Amino acid sequence: MDSSWGRPSACGGLSGRLALVEQVANLQADCQSAAPRGFRLSNAPSERYTRRDLLHKAARGTVLATLGGGAAFLVQKAHGQVVWQVDATRCLNSRLGVVGVEACKLCTTECVVALSAVRAVNEYSRCGRCNICPAYFNITSAVDERGLPSEKLCPRDAITRKPIGKADPEDPANNFYEYLIDEEKCDGCGKCVMQCKEPLGLGSIVLRIRYNRCVDCNRCAISRACPKDALIQVPVEQALRSQDGGRA
Amino acid sequence: MGGGLKPARGFSPAAALLLLATVAASAQSLPYQRPVDEAPQEKSIGGGYKTPAVQKPLPRSSWLQILDVAVLAAAMGISSWLVLKRRSRKSLAALAIGSLAYFGFYREGCICPIGSIQNVAVALTDPHYSIPMVVTATFFLPLVMAVFVGRAFCGGVCALGAIQELVLVKPLQVPRRLDRALGLLKYVYLGLALFFALKPAVARDFLICRFDPFVDFFRRTGPPHMLLLGSAFLLAGMFIGRPYCRYLCPYGGLLAWCTRLARRGVTITPDKELDCGLCTDACPYGAIEKMRAVRRNCLYCARCYAACPRDGDLAHAKAQLVNLS
Amino acid sequence: MHYRQVAVIGGKGAGPGQFSASLRSIAVDPAGNLYAANDSQITVFDEAGRPRRRWSTSQPVHSVAVAGDGAVYTGQIRQIEIFDRAGKLVRTWRDDTLAGRVTAIGFVDGDVLAGDATGRAIRRFDSNGRFRNNIGTDNPLNGLLIPNGVLDFGVDAHGIIHAANPGKHRVERYTPAGELLGHIGRFHGTDPAGFGGCCNPTNVAVRDRIYVTEKAGPRAKVYNFSGELEAVIAAGVFNANCKNMSVAVDRRGRVYVGDTVKLAIFVFEPVAI
Repeated sequence: MDSSWGRPSACGGLSGRLALVEQVANLQADCQSAAPRGFRLSNAPSERYTRRDLLHKAARGTVLATLGGGAAFLVQKAHGQVVWQVDATRCLNSRLGVVGVEACKLCTTECVVALSAVRAVNEYSRCGRCNICPAYFNITSAVDERGLPSEKLCPRDAITRKPIGKADPEDPANNFYEYLIDEEKCDGCGKCVMQCKEPLGLGSIVLRIRYNRCVDCNRCAISRACPKDALIQVPVEQALRSQDGGRA
Repeated sequence: MGGGLKPARGFSPAAALLLLATVAASAQSLPYQRPVDEAPQEKSIGGGYKTPAVQKPLPRSSWLQILDVAVLAAAMGISSWLVLKRRSRKSLAALAIGSLAYFGFYREGCICPIGSIQNVAVALTDPHYSIPMVVTATFFLPLVMAVFVGRAFCGGVCALGAIQELVLVKPLQVPRRLDRALGLLKYVYLGLALFFALKPAVARDFLICRFDPFVDFFRRTGPPHMLLLGSAFLLAGMFIGRPYCRYLCPYGGLLAWCTRLARRGVTITPDKELDCGLCTDACPYGAIEKMRAVRRNCLYCARCYAACPRDGDLAHAKAQLVNLS
Repeated sequence: MHYRQVAVIGGKGAGPGQFSASLRSIAVDPAGNLYAANDSQITVFDEAGRPRRRWSTSQPVHSVAVAGDGAVYTGQIRQIEIFDRAGKLVRTWRDDTLAGRVTAIGFVDGDVLAGDATGRAIRRFDSNGRFRNNIGTDNPLNGLLIPNGVLDFGVDAHGIIHAANPGKHRVERYTPAGELLGHIGRFHGTDPAGFGGCCNPTNVAVRDRIYVTEKAGPRAKVYNFSGELEAVIAAGVFNANCKNMSVAVDRRGRVYVGDTVKLAIFVFEPVAI
């Protein structure tokens, strides 16, 4: 006998149980010696094929047909996966024309994933490669002896700055710099996005949902909170194909 | 008149919102067009520089999604075999742990058949809604299984059920009438979920996903009130068997309907000589009434078989005995 | 030094003195007439601010300047169209050295200087349109740092070219042959005497002082040739989203700044304290 798992308290004494167990053992011995396998103990009414059985069978068939039909209908209706994306023309952090407000952090706080699936992405072909990038530096901080701001903007230090192209050995200000965002560190807080936005910057940094982290909820939790309804659902091919959200 | 304001960086949120309102209002009256700009290109930068490609991480591959459905089907097959044929409580518990690990902590509870009710409902009513095939499969497979063998999904496959199974340490019997009355709540929940899911796209709300008490444990993060709710359910689940499954799960309601038609399933054969009733006491879910299995409430835990003194050789001769369920 | 606003010319609209699409460049001739480029259209205002003439160009205009003989030079994409004072097209210059948008035009010693924003350099042509030399390319980056898309410069009375180099937060001085003489200005995020943001100053005009405009915190300022800030001409009147505001100075020291969002020209007059 299989050991019990969480058996509740039973009514009836233990001795009663043991007596029953003994009875069963006897019965087992009797049955095995008396009849071969396959022996029918009685010709009970339920053994015959009744109308109830027919109804049951018909009902089962109908339900299975309905389920199958429903499944087939939905399968032929399926046209690819739909994913969530941040519309850069509506997102508060990147939408043109809005200046002087704090960066919106809802993408970080609302996403159900532990570290938000929204990350800041720098579209390199649109980046100015400026010496003093307002998204990398905190441009209101004090200027150090090299002429650069002393503080960085990103609270998680996710942006790295490196010189590119030909360098001017005498004048580090006379150089192009590339700004790379480490997506492992970024949490989508939007500060760099807001600073990069026109007219202060060139608007090359946008917030994007990263599909290797997004769990693709039926209703994105960020979309429920977004004050600008900037979260949209697009087919996955379109989301991967588009370079940007289609900026105004 | 636009406010020619310097970008200020120390605003409180309330002031920022007010500022936003005024600036947005003024910005609307003067549509701001993207001014001319031209970022430096590779040729201009020189020095052998190449513009790095912007990464585009891909979502979960479709093969892996199909694998999830295959694992679901296989797990249900194993579950029904373990309960109906092998009748092994230990093996079923092992399956439950495996399902919890895969569907719970690895897939983080999504996609689940419970939530897929909403997707299917929307897909049937909204012509613009696209439902992926794996979601359709996730919805229909456990139901088809239920039409044949009952709630194999509930026993050891559903991650939400598994987590509640594993905390059930001291099951108490809920009085029958209370149990049946509470069981109606799941149809109320089903109705509510459908009502909110069938709203137009902008107002659509997926309640089952939002109020899933256990998904935040699977994700290892969540708002405090949901973690509290999940903990409350687990705490209650230590003494009351699977409260979410029995009283709230909308999919359980659908499975119950389908199980009514099942030909096979957990069977208790009444035997006048051996009405020990150990199985009735062993079942934490109130699925055995008057020595007969109420298949639609049976959650495939195999405790009845584990408690039955007859289990063993004679159990395999079930087919010959009277079948009155 | 102190400045006060005396007039607002133009505005957004379709009327004879209004601008419908953009306000990319303004210029002042010695007589005090004001020339404004509105997309493919040049509008001329008299000293009192009344619209006098208007004509169309074949392509969108990025810069406008008036030569000593009254000819109006308009910088477009890879070409310069020259009109007489009545608005009739006289000549079109096309040159391979012009890589893209000509965002500023100046004159020195009878030569014409064209600021090529795409090529990040100032091209010098003789009066017939033949290329002579580049200015600003004699450095490892082969040009000025122009992330904001507009290269602007001014020429002072001595023939020295003062070019805004926004990526370096400087106004650099060059000879017409292209030799770098020096610069004024530095980056500073909060000090008004410094240039803030990523690329400032965007535009510059020169007469007896250096007048600059900035973006992102749009303002107009005036420096002396030693680089000292003399005054902040205006800061709060421009739309916050302005970028690359064109600036011009007439012989009386009145400063004209073109607001690129409101599409209006603000006129400021110096007031002795």
